[in-house]
Amino acid sequence: MRKYLALSKGWFMTGMVYRFGFIATIVGNILYMVIAYYLWTSVYDGQEVINGLSFDQTFLYVALASTVFILFNTYVDWLMSFEIREGRITNYLVKPIDHQLAVLAYGGGRTILNILIVTVPTALLLTFAFGVAIPVGVGLLLFPVSLFLAFLISFCFDYAVGLTGFYTESIWGLVTVKETLILALSGALIPIQFFPEGLQNLLRWLPFSAIYHTPLMMITQPDQGLGLLLERLAFQFFWVGTLFVFTRLFYNRAIKVLRIAGG
Amino acid sequence: MALIHIEDLSKHFKILNRHEGLTGSFRDLFSHDYRTVKAVDGISFDIEPGEMVGYIGPNGAGKSTTIKMMTGILKQTSGTILVNDHVPYENRIRQAQIMGVVFGQRSQLWWDLPVIESFRILKEIYKVDQKSFDEHLALFDDLVGLSALYSQQVRTLSLGQRMLCDITVSFLHNPSVVFLDEPTIGLDVSVKAKIRSLIRELNRVSNTTIILTTHDLGDVEALCKRIIIIDKGTILYDGSTDKVSQLFGVFRTLEVQVADGDQGATDLIEARLTERFGEEAAIMVRPKDESWTAMTIDQARIPLSDVLNFMMTTFPVDDVRIVEISMENVVQRIYEGALQ
Repeated sequence: MRKYLALSKGWFMTGMVYRFGFIATIVGNILYMVIAYYLWTSVYDGQEVINGLSFDQTFLYVALASTVFILFNTYVDWLMSFEIREGRITNYLVKPIDHQLAVLAYGGGRTILNILIVTVPTALLLTFAFGVAIPVGVGLLLFPVSLFLAFLISFCFDYAVGLTGFYTESIWGLVTVKETLILALSGALIPIQFFPEGLQNLLRWLPFSAIYHTPLMMITQPDQGLGLLLERLAFQFFWVGTLFVFTRLFYNRAIKVLRIAGG
Repeated sequence: MALIHIEDLSKHFKILNRHEGLTGSFRDLFSHDYRTVKAVDGISFDIEPGEMVGYIGPNGAGKSTTIKMMTGILKQTSGTILVNDHVPYENRIRQAQIMGVVFGQRSQLWWDLPVIESFRILKEIYKVDQKSFDEHLALFDDLVGLSALYSQQVRTLSLGQRMLCDITVSFLHNPSVVFLDEPTIGLDVSVKAKIRSLIRELNRVSNTTIILTTHDLGDVEALCKRIIIIDKGTILYDGSTDKVSQLFGVFRTLEVQVADGDQGATDLIEARLTERFGEEAAIMVRPKDESWTAMTIDQARIPLSDVLNFMMTTFPVDDVRIVEISMENVVQRIYEGALQ
């Protein structure tokens, strides 16, 4: 797997070249957190607990959700559609590398860069400026594992949308649909506990919640019982496996368009 | 056993017939009006290990399509294609390990990183061991002084420097065959010469088979003993380069700009030339843009200087240029039976 590590490193270094872009990202995230802070302060309006979550838990959840959103925002779909349209996809096809893993290496390299440049500063800011205490519990230990699985699920969605680049020149609409669906249904904007009961149950079974809700609840509610946490992890594993197989089959189908219709 | 075996190979594309205008583009949304384009239509040839072959033809002849089938990017419509005894698009990853590919228009280097990083990444991708990597870098440095470029960002390289890097890196993993698709496109004469000598040396040192596609007959003359000429998807000629260059070396095109030239000027020139040099078509006259007229001259029959002299004395000539015979001209002459 050294070849994919080398690719990841290459993309990491490429990202470093454009370091100034990150300043805008960090400033944007801080702004979002300030707005979220006042929004949820007025929602709570003196109440201790709403839907089983304290203000601190909700704010930590929302702030981390936007941070994770930036973390997973690697533009895999845009890169893929660009490479397909420009014919650069052939660079993968003539090399002894697997396309899905090579693109995953890209996503991974960008994500590690995001961790260093966005996530770490945000965590520091949350702790020191907003004075949010990150609860300690077994969930905190499982959080990195859960976050990694969430990254893989998020990657599969991006990869699938990127593959539609073989069929259409403009993936803009699909990207928007994907982002909206994920943001709305994953609990990234509003914690799933705030949804109506029936919808909550449905959302817990869809893969979207495995991207945001699952890792975030590990950190905001770390004392829910090991059984439940492991169950959610198993559920994430299930979606990682399913989506990887699905996107791989999709790739094998999509690449035939190129093989037969020309690139 | 041949390294590349191609037999009766065809590749047909289905292309949607586009209609004009706004209503036309709406019709296209639902249209099933396809036509078939025979990009490659029943070609056969074998290439032996260590050979350096020029694969040439005018635009749209089917060169790139053939290369894409040999590299496993495209699947053929019919016929056989074997590279190193395997079908290229099956088991793509193993096949890719024995190939090197350079698309002149499309770099495989990492745009934002120093050159050496691309070499390091490709070292891992092709699983090249450290010793072999060092040896190759030393060789590349020997041939073109590549080490001076290692720390430069790829985006800051000139086209020629980038091409040197792209070509050398495709030899890094000791491939059995390297495909060079238009490696000299857009380069000036001195850089072209450098690229040619690099390719010649790499072939000599590593005995790698090289398939070179190009627009420029000069590349082929300088590098390849064997030439395959393709046009409209079929092979027009497959044989020694010497024979082709002997034949076409004698053709030159003379272009003249006549003062107050108009549409009638070309006809007048043709009439006067026929009058002076006889009926036989040793000179092909055709109009170029605006006031220019082009004459392709068979120097074996009429010296170019005679034609030039005649033109200068007969017409009010403003400007003159002499150009090598173009690929399109070569193909046209072959159709006319020049190589039979």
